Amino acid sequence: MSSTGRSSGVERTIWTAGPPSRWIGPLAAAAAFVLVVGVPLYELSSAGLALGWAGVADAFGRTGAARASFNTLWTAAVVTPAAIAAGTAAAMVTERSAVPGRRPLRLVVLLSLFIPPFVAAQSWASAYGPSGLVDDLLGVALPGIYGPVGVVALLIVDAVPLAYIIVVGGLASRAEPDLERAARASGATAWQAFGTVTLPLLKPALTAAGALVFITTINAFGVPAILGLPGGFVTVTTRIYRDLAFAADPASFTRVVVLAVSLVVVTLVTVGLADVLGALKGPATRTGAPPGGDATAGRRAWAPAAALWAYAAITGGVPLVALILTSLTRAVGLAPVPANWTLENYAEAVSAQSLEALTNSLLLAVAAATVALLLGGLLTSLRRHRFGRALGTSATLTFAVPGSALAVAVLLAYGRWLRDTLLLILIAYVAKFWAFGHRAIAASVEGLPPELPHAARASGAGAGATLRTVILPLLRPALVGAWLLVFVIAVHELTMSALLYGPGSRTLAVTILNAQQLGDITVTSALAVLLLLLVLGAAVPLLLIGWRRSG
Amino acid sequence: MNGRGHDPVLDCRALTVGYGAEPVLSDLDLTVARAETVALLGPSGSGKTTLLYTIAGFLRPSSGEIWIAGTPVHAPGQEVPPEARDVGVVFQHYALWPHLSAVETVAYPFRRIGMAEGEARRRAQALLETMGIGELAARRPAELSGGQQQRIGLARALARNAGLYLFDEPTAHLDAALRTALQAEVVQRRGDAGAAALYATHDAGEALAVADRVVLLQGGRIVQIGSPADIYERPVDVWAARLTGPASVIEVDVTGTSPRGLRMRVAGDDVVVSDATAAPGRYMALVRPDWAALGGPLAGRMMHAWYRGPHTDYRVQTAAGDVVLRGSGPPRARPGEPVDWRLDRVHLINVEDHGRSER
Repeated sequence: MSSTGRSSGVERTIWTAGPPSRWIGPLAAAAAFVLVVGVPLYELSSAGLALGWAGVADAFGRTGAARASFNTLWTAAVVTPAAIAAGTAAAMVTERSAVPGRRPLRLVVLLSLFIPPFVAAQSWASAYGPSGLVDDLLGVALPGIYGPVGVVALLIVDAVPLAYIIVVGGLASRAEPDLERAARASGATAWQAFGTVTLPLLKPALTAAGALVFITTINAFGVPAILGLPGGFVTVTTRIYRDLAFAADPASFTRVVVLAVSLVVVTLVTVGLADVLGALKGPATRTGAPPGGDATAGRRAWAPAAALWAYAAITGGVPLVALILTSLTRAVGLAPVPANWTLENYAEAVSAQSLEALTNSLLLAVAAATVALLLGGLLTSLRRHRFGRALGTSATLTFAVPGSALAVAVLLAYGRWLRDTLLLILIAYVAKFWAFGHRAIAASVEGLPPELPHAARASGAGAGATLRTVILPLLRPALVGAWLLVFVIAVHELTMSALLYGPGSRTLAVTILNAQQLGDITVTSALAVLLLLLVLGAAVPLLLIGWRRSG
Repeated sequence: MNGRGHDPVLDCRALTVGYGAEPVLSDLDLTVARAETVALLGPSGSGKTTLLYTIAGFLRPSSGEIWIAGTPVHAPGQEVPPEARDVGVVFQHYALWPHLSAVETVAYPFRRIGMAEGEARRRAQALLETMGIGELAARRPAELSGGQQQRIGLARALARNAGLYLFDEPTAHLDAALRTALQAEVVQRRGDAGAAALYATHDAGEALAVADRVVLLQGGRIVQIGSPADIYERPVDVWAARLTGPASVIEVDVTGTSPRGLRMRVAGDDVVVSDATAAPGRYMALVRPDWAALGGPLAGRMMHAWYRGPHTDYRVQTAAGDVVLRGSGPPRARPGEPVDWRLDRVHLINVEDHGRSER
């Protein structure tokens, strides 16, 4: 396609440095990759291999590991189709029907991406758990919220925005409104057009979404930790967490390694399967019709809009209100009325310990975002090298490696020297989030018309001046967006930090998890609200950037 | 069903699409008779696609009615979905489904009316053979050229066997030679089917060539409706004149009539032109390039010559304004030289009309 030819044109004129520095970039990138990803994964796989089949069989023979694996697999098997169906339905509503308030609806569907899963879990418990908000008001509590029912329900809700984003992208790139109109003009009803045209065209997007949701679900930690563990519902990730945090015998460490390795294996098999099914490539056959517009005739579709708002209120709005009310209430069990309100929980939450945790979280997030962006830029600059491209692919694959497994790998490789330091967590973060920086920068470089830097060169700018005056200003929104995205994800990261933290390297998320497990619900809620404010503070500019670009 | 009795195939009544002070289409009345081809000619943004999409049922008008073959498809309390309207649509960007082969695409409308798969494919194949593209049956859109894709799009629309076909700039993305070939094909196939057509285009030559009647559209309003000759020879204003072909505008003073036509003063000289009647007074006169020629009683200065192969267009500076005129063969004068010219025919436009169209 012409796009590859175009981008290589940019590369050749803009990114190529002189001969002396030719090997500095690739060497630096390779060294960073080996240190951050290569050594830890090597340590993990050699630890796994050292156990041999006997060790694996032994680990799975113990009750915990087999049950945890079974729970993880069936959970993912239920969550994946449900989230895909719900995400597709939401995408059809916001993209294909004449809904009033399309933009706020899109935002509402996506907003839950910015709520850390463990905060969502906690607010669900506050809203729908025993003696939660709804229980107080209506006398109804969701049965089994602490257990498989709650875990599966919330995992579905958490995965819906992921499926939604991918399906919306698929609708935009492959299933243009004119293709559906052509079906209607050929005699198909709205449902027939959906079944015979839209759905087949969405197949690559749906497969990709399925793979992503499946991987995300088997990697989920916050939700099963908060809603699953209290009811004795253990998954692979929470099993690893328990064994690492609370057990010290060699048998449990063996189990950690085996479970981590099997998480990696299942993930890689899923990625491979999706790749074979063509989900990850899929030729984009745009016919070039003008986008937008409603494919189907329709008066304002109030009913689907109302359904989507109701969904958002039930899954996000009510729980958040409950969380905030809980954080303001003097003690658990009291009615959330003004008479019982207090700010004491916040005073207690802002202790020396939690302030240190907050500092740690911010330091880690800033460092992770900055390093991920720098390394991403480095990889992008190497796209002309076959070697650089291989590194780019590897970085992307590393993102798929489950956080629990990555944390165990980093612990195996560097725990000896860096135990209880922020650096240990940072290594895991960089390994995981490198792909974000790389993808964001590579995508916008590819989208850059080669004429623009060419025009700069033809106007007398050197390679450096072109980079400074034309390329970077054009990339700035993408760079800022990628930085904020990594920052937000790092601030609410729990899976890896829960496994790697020590007395001096507690993050805010870990502090909340610990407080929650000690049963201090009101103070935990106050901490969660503070974390949420922090995340939203970074998320709002991010959404504004996206808004401006989409509009 | 090809329309009942004497009802027009399409009847749009006071159609308005969009809301607010500047709707996309406002208060539009349009009929298409049986077996008639009507061209919608207008610049991009004039509402051509919106009108076609509204007739097809993809968009809902904010007011007005649409009748197809004597039946209301959009009227108060009445809304017929696109699949139940008796229309076939050919899309500007082809809108071929990337996951279906050509024969599957053309079989699609047959399948939707309940035909068995084998029969639908056989009919689709036969239709492709009739159009001389049977060998493309197994190909997907990605393996077809633009012209081939639009032929498949045409075949798919024909498979609807509709009473009315809507063409949304079907040749806009094809090169000139293909465009002519496909135009001919569209006209012939539509004629074979005996159906009516509404054909949107921004190309005046195409509109004049394919249509029985031409509708000029500007800013969502109909500016003029007429036969192709009407539209070309008697545009309502300068905007309409420029949209329908090359035209110069000069100032003339009508002084009276003579047996041979209208007597008028052009740049200080008296001339008599045919095909015009008007009361004495000052007018804007529209001159098509073929209405004037080199050699004659009038004086001017050659400004520029464009050699176009079969003929040459000259821009001549005169005291009445610049005139573009046409002569056969290669250029016969050089820029800067004084030339003689003559005026055979004009179309007079009221000065007030001229002012309106300069908005």
